Amino acid sequence: MLNVSHVRAGYGSDEILHDVSLQLPMGQSLSIIGPNGCGKTTLLRAIAALIPFEGEITLGGKSVASMKRREIAARIAVMSQMASVYLPYTVYDTVMLGRYQHMKRTFFGRPSENDRRVADLCIEKTGLADIRDRRIDELSGGQLQRVFLAHTLAQEPQIILLDEPTNHLDMKHQVELISYLRDWASDAEHAVIGVFHDINLAMNLTENVLFLKDGNVVGQGLFEDVATPEFLHGLFDMDVVGYMEQSYGRWKTLKEGRKNGQTLQEQI
Amino acid sequence: MKTGLKITLTAVLCLGVLVLAVCIGSVAVPPGDIAGILASKLFGLPLNARISNINAEVLWQIRLPRALMAFFVGGALAASGTVMQSVLRNPLASSYTLGVSAGASLGAGLVMLTGISFSFAGMFTLPFVGFVFGLGTVFLAMGMTARLDRNMENQTIILMGMVLSLFVNAILTLITALSREHLQQLIFWQMGSFSSKYWVHVAVVAPLLLICVILLMRYTREMDIMTFGEEQALSAGVELKNVKFLLIAVCALLTGTAVAFVGTIGFVDLIAPHVVRRLFGVRHSVVLPVSALFGGAFMTLADLVSRTILAPQELPVGAVTALIGAPFFAYVYFKRRKRAV
Repeated sequence: MLNVSHVRAGYGSDEILHDVSLQLPMGQSLSIIGPNGCGKTTLLRAIAALIPFEGEITLGGKSVASMKRREIAARIAVMSQMASVYLPYTVYDTVMLGRYQHMKRTFFGRPSENDRRVADLCIEKTGLADIRDRRIDELSGGQLQRVFLAHTLAQEPQIILLDEPTNHLDMKHQVELISYLRDWASDAEHAVIGVFHDINLAMNLTENVLFLKDGNVVGQGLFEDVATPEFLHGLFDMDVVGYMEQSYGRWKTLKEGRKNGQTLQEQI
Repeated sequence: MKTGLKITLTAVLCLGVLVLAVCIGSVAVPPGDIAGILASKLFGLPLNARISNINAEVLWQIRLPRALMAFFVGGALAASGTVMQSVLRNPLASSYTLGVSAGASLGAGLVMLTGISFSFAGMFTLPFVGFVFGLGTVFLAMGMTARLDRNMENQTIILMGMVLSLFVNAILTLITALSREHLQQLIFWQMGSFSSKYWVHVAVVAPLLLICVILLMRYTREMDIMTFGEEQALSAGVELKNVKFLLIAVCALLTGTAVAFVGTIGFVDLIAPHVVRRLFGVRHSVVLPVSALFGGAFMTLADLVSRTILAPQELPVGAVTALIGAPFFAYVYFKRRKRAV
């Protein structure tokens, strides 16, 4: 169980999160949604203890702030954005680096039998076996995202945190990633927390949602219970559901063809 | 090729360069005599009658300590350059980025100017003061960074190092402008040289450098992860602040020692890691030791060229490293790039 209670956090003297609380049992997943600048990313960073915060965050009853980095890494993994490739490691080496916190300090950094087994398994599961010896700077965006997924899985965490994980991906790769994560999170000992702009993707990944606005929690629960059209209208200051319906109508015309020779736009 | 084999090959090449460096010079020592001379000097075996005593003394007293000094200093600079490029996530970072050389130069300049000598340091007064000033500058840069930016972001560290370097250099310029009689001495010191380096210097420098490099070898995984960014390193379980501080401190120690003894010799620390990464891949468990070996061999070669090509005049070794190094670097870099395209 992840328990976030009365957390405040920010950068320097700017407080961005004001008194955020949430609870997430293992085996469940959560989407965090809100307008730009509402503190979504800050909340993720606080949960992984990447930034200092006030209040308390516990995992399995133990305070995250009191843990060593290795202990945190054994429980919580942050899936990285692909913008951060500086040196061209191979796919295999990049995945193996996810094993860092499990490894003992040795001279040439040689991985153990078990580390190799886990890395191989993660490469296998994410469909990277064919390109395991390629350099990561030669990969497509979709492949690279899978490499970072495998890296994250190799860490063997209980919770995976995602920040706009599908940012650079085409639709096929978005769907693939989301369905992989949904599978992973269905294990009773795992949980995924994702920050999303795309509400569609969020609903595909999780049952539960937490809405943030101006650093405060404004709604929390099942999508069906919280995300009413009125609520979303208030949150984003626009008719979200109406907009979605309109594009859905357009999709329908793609499927059914023109009605009386008219496009949907013309019918309206 | 297996990594172990690659490292072994590099080590063999290094040995070859060292043999060259002790054989070539005003008195040519045949390579075959080296083993005999070493056996006589190290284990007290009788010297083969065929080998001249002069050759033996030249090799043992002058060439070997000089070559080893160049080798260790080159290795130290290359190793710390490798680490700095990883820790600061910047391909232009080098051992000198944080102001070691500026600080050491100021220290050396003050010693030359005042003629001061500490009894406990004796002939090592200049290296000692240079070392203290070099390290002092780095820690000042780190301290100021920590005050300005609690997260110790790389950009802040690099900027602070540059600002402080310029400031310290300006002080040195002021001082030298006011006392011109020491100008030449200071300039030659700054150019760097391995002349008049004897066993006593090797005995001080070599153990320190070896210990530092061995310590760094234990952190190659952290260096790998840190290239993916600070947040990624943290979330993978690296105690980032401590590791960063430790690595920068060890690099400052390596570079500070090197600069204090032989002056500011650039280029090796910057290019060695780039060349090695082109040839051996980017994993630090390989890049760090091979860079150290490569940097050592390269520096030994540069020193050999600097003392033989216009003999008996010696060229500043700092100029030679760049003169040979720049074209070599361009060759390795663009050759591989062409193949990649």
